[in-house]
Amino acid sequence: MLSYILRRLLLMIPTLLGITIVVFATMALSPGGITAQSLVDDFGMNPQEKAALEAYYNKRYGLDKPAPVQYLRWLNNVSPIGFEVSEEGTLGRFSWRKGIDLGESFLYGRPVSQILAERVPITLLLNVLTIPIIYLISIAVGVRAATDRGGRFDITSSIVMLALWSIPTMLTGVLLIGFFASEQYWHWFPPSGLSSLEAARMPFLPHWERFADVARLLGGMLAGFAAGAALAQWRNRTGRIIVAVLVGLLCATGMIDALPHEFSWVAWFWTALLLGGVFYATAGSDYPALRLVAFAFFGLCLGGALGAQWGASGFVRGFLLDRLWHLVLPVFCLAYGGFAFLARLTRSAVLENLQADYARTARAKGVPEKEVLWAHVFRNSLLPLITVFAALLPGLLGGSVIVETLFSIDGMGKLAVEAVKGRDREMVLSITLISGFLTLVGYLLADLLYAAADPRVSYD
Amino acid sequence: MTSLQKAENRHEGYAARLLRKTFSRWSARIGAAWIALLAVVAVFAPFLANSRPLWVSVGGHGYSPLLQGLTWADIGWLAAFFGALLLWSLPLRFGQRLLGLLAIILIASLIGKAALKPRTIEIYEQYREQAAQYDEVIYTLVPYSPRDYQRDRGDTGFQPPSREHWFGTEENGADTLSRMIHASRVALSIGFVATGIALVIGVFIGGLMGYFSGLFDIIGMRVVEIFEAIPTLFLLLTFVAFFGRNLYIMMVIIGLTSWTGYTRYLRAEFLKLRDQDYVQAARAAGLPLGSILFRHMLPNGVAPVLVGASFGVASAILAEATLSFLGLGLVDAPSWGQMLFQAVRFSSFNWWMAVFPGGAIFFTVFAYNLIGDALRDAIDPHLSTVEE
Amino acid sequence: MSMLEVDGLKTWLKSGGKQIKAVDDVSFTIQRGETFCLVGESGSGKSVTALSIIRLLPERIASHPGGAIHFDFRRRDGETERVDMLRLDEARLCQIRGLRIAMIFQEPMTSLNPVFTIAEQIIEALRLHNPEMPYAAARERALEALRQVQIKDAEAKLDDYPHRLSGGQRQRVMIAMAMACQPDLLIADEPTTALDVTVQAEILRLMKTLQKDRRMGILFITHDFGVVAQMADRVAVMRRGKIVEQGELDTLLASPRHDYTRALLDALPENLPRPDHPPPASENPYIEVRDIKVWFPVYKGVFRRHVSDIKAVDGVNLQIRRGEIVALVGESGCGKTTLGRAILQLIRPTAGDVRIAGDSIIGLNNRQLRPYRRRMQIIFQDPLSSLNPRLTIATTLIEPMAVHGIGESTEERIEIARQTLETVQLKGDHLWRYPHEFSGGQRQRIGIARALVLDPGFIVCDEVTSALDVSVQAEILQMLLQLRRDRQLALLFITHDIGVVEYISDRTLVMQQGRVVEQGDTAQVCGAPTQPYTQKLIAAVPRMPENVYRRAGACQ
Repeated sequence: MLSYILRRLLLMIPTLLGITIVVFATMALSPGGITAQSLVDDFGMNPQEKAALEAYYNKRYGLDKPAPVQYLRWLNNVSPIGFEVSEEGTLGRFSWRKGIDLGESFLYGRPVSQILAERVPITLLLNVLTIPIIYLISIAVGVRAATDRGGRFDITSSIVMLALWSIPTMLTGVLLIGFFASEQYWHWFPPSGLSSLEAARMPFLPHWERFADVARLLGGMLAGFAAGAALAQWRNRTGRIIVAVLVGLLCATGMIDALPHEFSWVAWFWTALLLGGVFYATAGSDYPALRLVAFAFFGLCLGGALGAQWGASGFVRGFLLDRLWHLVLPVFCLAYGGFAFLARLTRSAVLENLQADYARTARAKGVPEKEVLWAHVFRNSLLPLITVFAALLPGLLGGSVIVETLFSIDGMGKLAVEAVKGRDREMVLSITLISGFLTLVGYLLADLLYAAADPRVSYD
Repeated sequence: MTSLQKAENRHEGYAARLLRKTFSRWSARIGAAWIALLAVVAVFAPFLANSRPLWVSVGGHGYSPLLQGLTWADIGWLAAFFGALLLWSLPLRFGQRLLGLLAIILIASLIGKAALKPRTIEIYEQYREQAAQYDEVIYTLVPYSPRDYQRDRGDTGFQPPSREHWFGTEENGADTLSRMIHASRVALSIGFVATGIALVIGVFIGGLMGYFSGLFDIIGMRVVEIFEAIPTLFLLLTFVAFFGRNLYIMMVIIGLTSWTGYTRYLRAEFLKLRDQDYVQAARAAGLPLGSILFRHMLPNGVAPVLVGASFGVASAILAEATLSFLGLGLVDAPSWGQMLFQAVRFSSFNWWMAVFPGGAIFFTVFAYNLIGDALRDAIDPHLSTVEE
Repeated sequence: MSMLEVDGLKTWLKSGGKQIKAVDDVSFTIQRGETFCLVGESGSGKSVTALSIIRLLPERIASHPGGAIHFDFRRRDGETERVDMLRLDEARLCQIRGLRIAMIFQEPMTSLNPVFTIAEQIIEALRLHNPEMPYAAARERALEALRQVQIKDAEAKLDDYPHRLSGGQRQRVMIAMAMACQPDLLIADEPTTALDVTVQAEILRLMKTLQKDRRMGILFITHDFGVVAQMADRVAVMRRGKIVEQGELDTLLASPRHDYTRALLDALPENLPRPDHPPPASENPYIEVRDIKVWFPVYKGVFRRHVSDIKAVDGVNLQIRRGEIVALVGESGCGKTTLGRAILQLIRPTAGDVRIAGDSIIGLNNRQLRPYRRRMQIIFQDPLSSLNPRLTIATTLIEPMAVHGIGESTEERIEIARQTLETVQLKGDHLWRYPHEFSGGQRQRIGIARALVLDPGFIVCDEVTSALDVSVQAEILQMLLQLRRDRQLALLFITHDIGVVEYISDRTLVMQQGRVVEQGDTAQVCGAPTQPYTQKLIAAVPRMPENVYRRAGACQ
């Protein structure tokens, strides 16, 4: 096993080299290339100032050298073993412990490593929150779809998942921001950033003025939760549907009422249709777990919202809650696209395993079907999900780009866009290196996890 | 056609069976219907949305400003459409049909470019200003061109949907619906061309890797890993930002960044197929390498690649929209992503710019995904929702 | 009262929108302590019958429109209840499955859950039906069960994962798991079909022993009459969902009453009329193989160094003359398939020499090899994967002809293809069909036609009848003999079935672990083997008793 890990780590090096070469070549081969010229063009300066700025750039960043030399110099800077470089940019002795120098950004004028240290954790936070959500929901849907094969849930969920996958992230983001985070419509969520302006001065946890407020809030949440759960468990399907649709209509009315402009019947119609439709589908489903989770959660939120309405005076949000509140929309945008793929994969894996010979043996032993599913089949079905985890990473890092741009979150994705637009050589290369490295480490982790999970696999 | 082909057509081959099974699902039919609609809209775009009237009669003298204003691109699209119809009715092999279509498009475009006069600056307002003088006039369905900024109507900017403009107007005053109709061309062409490029590269490399293995495989896998480890969007951004925002360049770039999936599929298939008995039999019979690769292995291994291609077309359309959204999209040609971009750029939320072009993107991507999904189920019925 | 009584069972399966009558009014009984064999060819419904007894068929596919299955259920409280398996609910079925009726399946490689250890899987069975049993006691019982099925190092194997065990060991584990709760009835669905013949012999012996110890009833499903002869007390023959004949073993074998039974017995290789063995065409060997070696390198370590080799074929000498059929026998993994492919240069030998009609074909590149490829062809085992599903039969047959320049025009080649199809007893207009329109036996004939179309002198037959029903096998074997006579073919017949070897071949080679341990005339090698391995192999083959029915006029 150790030799396998060593081999993989060694193989990472040529891949990383290759990545950086590809990106560097793209920059160098483009019209304009990586010269001081392209950086200087925008500013409306007279020729002398331009020349001076060019000379400065050339000296500082070595932009007048030919592309391969630039690349080698950069490579030398980045590798922990190499030639030391002095202030003027001349080469010094060869050293084994030079340290990694990612260079300075053209755009920001600060060391790249500093900027990255600020930004990378944010992107990681977004992704680390998103991945478990995607997995949980996909597995739940996938398993149910497999056991319900050919049934209503299976067909509906597969179409719904496919539809979700088809909605472009930016459309969702735009719609969400436009409708739920803007002045014109419901202003439930903040439109941008990760924290409010006052957040720095806020205490960490939320804080209420009076105990009665807390009681109202918690009471409301509890009541809502219980009501939702009770509705979900109610056996009478028609009754469920009627109550649920009524609640939906009431909510729609409430929502339209809360809008800043005057009451519009057209808007009410569409909102009522949407909400009513969703409630109808959920209430009418014969998947009790889905109903329970959906209605209980909705009841919780509604009850909490109503409870918090009264006595909202001395409420201080607190840093934690504020951060979470800001994260809801971005994480949702990032997560929903991943459901379809993973749910589909889970479904195929579970189906295949349900039909497998060892499942038949388990049934022949007298194991009840439910236990066959969860004790035997489930573990085997998880294996392809682990492998796929590795492929998810580049997708998520890419998806963050859109989400971060939309929500003005200062993460690595947004940085990447700015760096590319601004032709910031150091930044672009460093981001490439980091994301490439993270992805390859992700692959390695996935393979190791897989080896741990599947006893048939051993790396020698 | 030889007696061999005539006789073979009587029985249903694998491809025909696959298509039949795929489109027996209503989801695939809906998807195909939407795409067909889109194709028709794209081909006949100048006839659907144009400031130039279709037919004008002044003082007994009638002419068609619309036909006079057709560009070589319009001719190309029309030729593609009618050429495809013609070729499909002829009993030819798939490869021959494809080549024929490409040839028709190429020739028609060249003729169009040579024959039509170069366009001068378009003055769209003239048709509205002269409207009073016309005896008879027939307008197109949407009487606005995509670049008609309605300067004769004052300083129009964003306007919500109204009776005049069914989908509202965009930031420069041009009609949204008209721009959407013409943008369908961009969406369709980018989807097909980019995926086509990615397919050719991916199949070529993947096939060679799968069949020959050895050093070729090792190097190939490193190359694949390199392209996969860079987040696609980032690679796209880099390419586009540095190389420019021309439609054709974007097609090539999107193609160049999405071939790795096809390579993996085909390599996996070829590795399996190599050991299949009929491939061994082909080798034992001394059949030439080309025949083994293209006649025996490729048609049998191409199925998951096709599924991937269907999803790939959807991704290509999404990629273009994303790039436009990030401000790196096409500059002058109308595109759905660009319109989406306008929805949030300004302080007010212009919902019609998000809902309608966004909806168009959604439906198109959804349609391709539905077809890909149905195709996947047709290929491997063990796991489909329909009981076999 | 019999322990199990199947009364007019009907099982219908939904497939592709149609209902198939997989089991159509089947009735039989099984007593305590007796072995009842259900014999039949593929598609006869024997497996479906077995699965119906404990209702293992998925509900959405299977329905039981008629009949009943009565079983004496010895409940845990000591009372015996006679239940109808078809009418029980899921909960009660789970009580019976594994505890009173156990089932083992055909494929040992996939029948065990790969992510659980052997111990976990056996203990699961134990504790499911004995919930009050503590873990330590269960583990002890599991260990004991493994010892009873004669697994060596049972203690160590307990904590191993299934993939570490061989096929035979896994099947023993399956038996141990099935027997752990001491069932009254064991249903065995072709348990030894996928195993080597020596392993099969041991497993069958084991099952007989266990049955005697526990007075357990066995319902044994098989297609192999030799196994039936060894195991059964009573037999039933099934065909297309119905039982055509059933009775005591001796009676049925000695004087079968139904035509189908007789046809099945006739088709056994030992009952086929002995073919005449014409002398080979010439004394010079057509195919000559000298000291051929096929080694596969093993790479280990960080830098993937070549540390050792897997010696699939390790020095084999072989000669075949035109008109001669040489059999290559051995168990799985002995290298016989590799040898066949190496002779044909589909796998490049690591060392050694191969000559066709005197010309050496080692070390030639593809272009140089091509003219020789005409002379040597191969027929494969699996009819499903031996034909390209995308091409019509015509294209499959014609393309090789075009490459080698046989026939002047496409029309002429079509004619040759048509005639070849008729030689293998298929109709000419089958040329225009696709492989999926044919049955397994028909596809094998097409495979033979493909080999014949180039008019070769040497054909490697790689387990060509192993996947076929015995009646189809008989036809194919007879066809091959006819072809040998007409075309003076040299055949290398690779197989693991000694009965077929005795029927068809002139000479026999026995392989073990890459080497030939014995070779010579078939009569001598199979009748009086000199090497211990060969003796073990021949002894393990399940034989029919002496008084078995033979067709009038058949010779021994």
